[in-house]
Amino acid sequence: MTNTASGKEPKKWIYRHSYNVRICHWIVVISFAYLVVSGVNIFLDFPELYWGKVGFQGYPAAFKLSDWGISWEEAGAMGNRRWGRNYHFLFAWVFVINGFIYLSWNLWRKQFYRKMLPRRDELSLSHLKVEIINHLRFRKPQGDRARGYNVLQKISYLLVLFLLFPFMILSGLAQMPAFTAISPELIDLFGGRQTARTLHVVATVVLLLFVIIHVIEVFVVGVVNAMRSMITGKYVLPEEEQEQETT
Amino acid sequence: MKKMEKTASLSRRKFIAGAGALGGLLLTGCDTDIYLPPKIRGGLMGVADVLTMASQRFLLSNQALVQEHDVSEITKNFPVWNQANPDDEEFQRLLTGGFQEWKLPIGGLVNRPVSLSLEELKRLPRRTQITSHICEQGWSAIAQWTGAPLLQVLQAAGGVTAEARYVVIDTVDGWYEAYDMFDVVHPQTILAYGMNGKDLPLGNGAPVRLRVERHCGYKNLKFVKSIQVVSSVEDIRRGTGGINSDNDWHWYAGA
Repeated sequence: MTNTASGKEPKKWIYRHSYNVRICHWIVVISFAYLVVSGVNIFLDFPELYWGKVGFQGYPAAFKLSDWGISWEEAGAMGNRRWGRNYHFLFAWVFVINGFIYLSWNLWRKQFYRKMLPRRDELSLSHLKVEIINHLRFRKPQGDRARGYNVLQKISYLLVLFLLFPFMILSGLAQMPAFTAISPELIDLFGGRQTARTLHVVATVVLLLFVIIHVIEVFVVGVVNAMRSMITGKYVLPEEEQEQETT
Repeated sequence: MKKMEKTASLSRRKFIAGAGALGGLLLTGCDTDIYLPPKIRGGLMGVADVLTMASQRFLLSNQALVQEHDVSEITKNFPVWNQANPDDEEFQRLLTGGFQEWKLPIGGLVNRPVSLSLEELKRLPRRTQITSHICEQGWSAIAQWTGAPLLQVLQAAGGVTAEARYVVIDTVDGWYEAYDMFDVVHPQTILAYGMNGKDLPLGNGAPVRLRVERHCGYKNLKFVKSIQVVSSVEDIRRGTGGINSDNDWHWYAGA
C-alpha cells in the first residue's frame, strides 16, 4: 500500500481525521443509507407530493410518480411501508444521537472553527475561481495544500452539517401528528405538513447529489489514501508533481 | 368550547362518583408508564420505539391541544381510505335501520358497565374540533369532528376503577387498539359521530369513530363497536395492545 511513493523524499504522513470524526462519519454513512432506503420505501406507498397543509390522492399534486411511468399500484408493490417506517425511525435516532455527539465534540475541541471555517483570503473571488477550476479539472491538491480542507469542501461541509441535516430533522418532525400539539409553529414555519414532506424529499435529493460528488472526489484524490485516512486517520500528503504544473 | 353543555343529562351523584374515579385516572396519566408502550419490541427497534414515545410524551406532558383549523380550511372530498363499508351482517342490519338500534357497550374495569345508544352518546357533553387527519402513509386532510370526549363516555359508565390502565376499542371490521390513560384524558380524544356538521358518513366510520388527534390515522379507529377498560393487554390477541402493533407496527403512532 506504500509502493506508490516515488522514493525521492520520505513520504509525509499526517493525521487528517480524529477518531471522533472517523467513527461518526461511518455511522452517518450507515444511518443515511438506511434512512434513504427506508424513506424511499415509505414514499413508494404514497408516491405523490403536495404543497400546503393537506394532500391526498386526487388533490392537485406537485409531483406524481405516475407521471414518470410508474403507476400507483406498481409503486406500492415495490415499497414496504411497515419496514420503511420501522427502520426510518430507528436510524433517525442513530443519526440524531451520532450527530449530537459529533457536534458537541467538535464544537468543544473548536474543530469546526479550525478546520471548516473558510479564511477570509479563501473567500476572495480569485481564489474561489481557482478552486472551482481545479475541481472541474479533477486536479488533486498537493503538498501542504492537501493538509486541510479546501474552501469548496469547507463550504459544502458546513452547508450539509448546519443547514441540510437540521432541515431534514425539522421537516421530518413537522410531519409527525404529535407535533401539531408539541409545536404547531414548526408546521406553520414550513407552510403546512405537506410542504414539509415535499421539502423533506427535495432536501434528500440535494443530499444525494452531495454524496455523489463527495464519492467522486474520493476517487479524484485517490481512493486508497482517502479511505485509509477516514478509517485509520493516516493520510499521505501527495507530493508536488512536476507534470501537473505544466497542464 | 362546548365541553360542559348538557352535563345535566348526568345526574349529579353520577357525576361526582365519576369524577372521583377519574381523579385516580388522571394520576395514572402522570405515572412513568406514559413513556412506555404496553409491550416493548425486542432489539434496537424497541430502543427506538421507547426513545420516540418517551421524548414525545415528555414534550406533550402539558397535554397541549393539537392545532385546530379555520372552517375555511376544511377539506372538500375528504378521502375514504381502507374500510369503507364493513361486510358484517349485524352492521348492515344496523346501517339499514339508520343506527337506531346501535349500542356501544362500555365494560371492563368501569364502575357501572353500560350500553349507550347513539342518542345517549349525543346527549353527553360534546366537543367540536377542526383538525388534520394524518395518515402514516403521508396524506393528510382537514375535517370538523363532533363527538363525546372519551373521558365523558367513561364517566357515563361510572368512571374507571383504580386498576384501569388501558382503554381497548374494538371495531366492526375486526380492528382493535388500546389507548393509555395519557391519551384517554386528552380533551381532543373524542368518539366522533359528526363530521363537518353532519352525521359521520359511512366511508369515514359511521356511526362512530375515534379521534385521537396526536396519533397517525391507524390509531383513529373507524366503525367503533365496543369499549372495554383493562389493567393489562397481555391476554388480548397477540398481547401488544393493538392490531397494528400485533403486526409489527409501532404501538405509539405519534411519529
